[in-house]
Amino acid sequence: MNVSQAALVFVALAPGAVFGLLALLWLVGWVPPERAVARITDWMFSASAVALIPVWLGLTSSGTAAVTVEFANWFTVHDYRFPLVLMADRLSLPFLAMTVVLAGLIGRFSATYLHREPGVFRFFLLLHLFTFGSLVAFAAGSFDLLVAGWEIVGITSVLLIAFFQHRAAPVENALRVFGIYRAGDIGLVVGVFALHQWAGTASFAGGFPHLTASHASMLGALLLFAAAGKAAQVPFSGWLPRAMEGPTPSSAIFYGAISIHAGAYLLLRAQPLLARSGIASALVVAVGVATAIYGTISGRVSADAKGSLAFASLTQVGVIFAEIGMGWNRVAVVHILGHATVRTLQFLRAPSALHDYHRMDSAEGGTTPAAGRLEEWLPERWQLWLYRWALDRGHLDTILDRFAIHPLMLLSGWFAALDRLGMHRPPREHDDAEASMSGAGAHGPRPERI
Amino acid sequence: MERGVMLTAVAIGVPWAAALGTVAANRRPRAIGFTAAFIAVTASALLLRGAPAGDSLTIALMVLYSCLTLGATLMLPRRDCTSGMIAGILFLLGSTLLAYSTDDLRVLLAAWIVSSAPFLREEWFGAPTWRPKLGLLLSGAALALAVAVIAASGGTMSIGGLIHSSPTSMTVFGLLVAAVVFRKGICPAHAWVADAAQGGAAIPTALLLNGHFGAMLAARLILPLFPDTARELFPLLSYLALGTALYVAVRALTENSPRRLIAYLALSQSACILAGLESQTIEGVTGALVHWFVVSASTMGLFGIVRLLEVRFGENLTGSTHLGLAEHAPRLACFFIVFGLALVGLPGTLGFCSLDLLVHGTMASHPLTGLLLPIATAMNAVSVFRLFARLFLGRRKTGLIGMADALPRERWIFTVGVAFFVLGGLFPSAIVARRAAEAEMVEQALQPPKGSSDTVAERALRYHHIAIAQVE
Repeated sequence: MNVSQAALVFVALAPGAVFGLLALLWLVGWVPPERAVARITDWMFSASAVALIPVWLGLTSSGTAAVTVEFANWFTVHDYRFPLVLMADRLSLPFLAMTVVLAGLIGRFSATYLHREPGVFRFFLLLHLFTFGSLVAFAAGSFDLLVAGWEIVGITSVLLIAFFQHRAAPVENALRVFGIYRAGDIGLVVGVFALHQWAGTASFAGGFPHLTASHASMLGALLLFAAAGKAAQVPFSGWLPRAMEGPTPSSAIFYGAISIHAGAYLLLRAQPLLARSGIASALVVAVGVATAIYGTISGRVSADAKGSLAFASLTQVGVIFAEIGMGWNRVAVVHILGHATVRTLQFLRAPSALHDYHRMDSAEGGTTPAAGRLEEWLPERWQLWLYRWALDRGHLDTILDRFAIHPLMLLSGWFAALDRLGMHRPPREHDDAEASMSGAGAHGPRPERI
Repeated sequence: MERGVMLTAVAIGVPWAAALGTVAANRRPRAIGFTAAFIAVTASALLLRGAPAGDSLTIALMVLYSCLTLGATLMLPRRDCTSGMIAGILFLLGSTLLAYSTDDLRVLLAAWIVSSAPFLREEWFGAPTWRPKLGLLLSGAALALAVAVIAASGGTMSIGGLIHSSPTSMTVFGLLVAAVVFRKGICPAHAWVADAAQGGAAIPTALLLNGHFGAMLAARLILPLFPDTARELFPLLSYLALGTALYVAVRALTENSPRRLIAYLALSQSACILAGLESQTIEGVTGALVHWFVVSASTMGLFGIVRLLEVRFGENLTGSTHLGLAEHAPRLACFFIVFGLALVGLPGTLGFCSLDLLVHGTMASHPLTGLLLPIATAMNAVSVFRLFARLFLGRRKTGLIGMADALPRERWIFTVGVAFFVLGGLFPSAIVARRAAEAEMVEQALQPPKGSSDTVAERALRYHHIAIAQVE
């Protein structure tokens, strides 16, 4: 193993090792002081950032397409292998660098922002686990390993949405987000299985040359389903504003920077499939454009700073999806890097957005111009309809509730009734489960802040 | 006496003797139970050490079950840790190990029935319905009838001998399948499991369910004895298992009783084990065998944590409102989410590997119905998180002054469980490779060689020869 390979292994595994160490200490009953955790986080991310330099040098100086580290198979059963391959190529390296730098900045910011907040240790634990999941997903040499990182990102994301655990709304919103993530993951799991069956491998290295156009279309659609779930694209967009219940640093790193772009990364990795299927590419463009339009319209009526930023993120990620669908991969990568950086800054400044605005307004002598409103060109009736549509966030949650969650809960209720047939003392059941799945916590009266 | 026989006798005899001793002495039940279970673990582990790869499934199951019982003796809250309870648990351990290890059908039947005996007591099975007792009764009756038919047809009572003679009676096959369906709680015979979990003693019921006698019967008897019939008819049972996994997963979505919910999760994931066993692919069978370990360990942990919460918080634990218990019991919350997510395939745990193999194996053999497996698992994941959120997160309980988190003995045993999942997930080869060798044997016996037209008896004999070759 040469220096660049060793550095890649360090970058990918260091946050996981820190998470494991801190979790073990906590389990045996010792919680490290806040300052120690913050310092460990600083050192780890600084070292990871430095370690990216030899990876970059290894990639540029050797002239190879990728720095690759092949471990033994994770497990092998007959002909089926789960390869453990880490890879840094010209696509994954920018994502690795973005993750390390932005997660490090968030760690530094949070040390002050969450100082003496109950649960600060839990926040740092989850930050390390999330970074580990992201780095594994971005450095994976195959879709198999990408799934592992992808799911870790999902569960940490959900646990951080429920960070303020004493309030019901974040907890119920976390459950809603988790449900959508898991639904999207079905597409990824089935897609990876189909890739094994049809292409004989899920490794990125070969480019899947034996796939037919129809197979590529089906795979593209499955991966798009997974990507749309993770990136909150239409029709799954309703979860993103709910995810803003988490602490601001986690909103910044998840929904401004890394997690929200994981779906785009998946599609970039699936580019050999999309290039072979016009239908799949068109679907990606359609979903992206629909999300961009949805995001920009809904964002205009959003009354809170983080909600507005979430819709702005949606709009940009929608545009990125469209770029990927059209095959403009380099443009998409540059767009992702720029968007992630700017949005992280905006999210971190969100708690003082009004203060910033007033300062800026004062500096300009109170003459800050209002943003241009394209909708003013529309007839008033249409404006009103659009306003209502945007206020209900495009009715996406309502549609999802009515056509997916409600029927499922109804079915479950019927099954419960069937099960109760032979019971003498029926237990109280399914009284409010439906309410929780349909996100009543987000729409209902909010409990007071503690 | 041969070393293997002696160790098996120790693993079975010591728990039984200790059960009698606990009742007679009526003091220090936890210490006696722990020691007896520890001896059973050691004897089974020594047996496993000498067992050849490919023929060690039953011994591995003995180790697993002994470990589960050892854990149960530690996690039992003081309120439940009576002489009667420990004696019952040890009796269950002895009879389950007997069922795993015996080669005689009559002994298997006796162990099958006797393992249910402690649950005749009201405090163990105080279920609100008659269904648990009926489920156990019907499964025992079906197996008894199968054994009777084999005996009436003049067949040998040895499982190894039966493989040589290959009984092809469809009646025996049907009765064995019925025994599996009733014992495992395959739909429509699933409701008894949730009833048993809700009304009975939580930890002993978890031990009863985690014996997985249904899957054991399928792996040890049905697959090797009826390779031809199994190949033709097992897809039907596989569809039934996958249907059960989905049905129960949907049912769990609106369940608010923690015990019933965990029982549904266990049922759904156990049905996945059966679906994997019937997939006729090495990946699927291996995934099923590994998942067997995952389901057993995780549901044992989940039932244990729920019981500990009941003892601390009150018996009226419910998932209908937020209880916010994480503030008082953060470690129990952490253990709960790890066990729960391991059950549904959290990456970095052994559950991820087993479900990966299960999905690949099942979907390879049944591309359309196999889709139900990831869907059911996704729904189960939502149910796990919902229960976690309701029990541990949400509003602060202002009326609750103090509630103990995991006590040291509980903390250590749960940490061992977490270590099993995490280390097993990071380095799964040791577990997967052994299960793969066993799965390969089953799969080879089921698949006729290309271009050959060998009979069922020849194929069954080949299974036996492969087993002998593995031993040698």
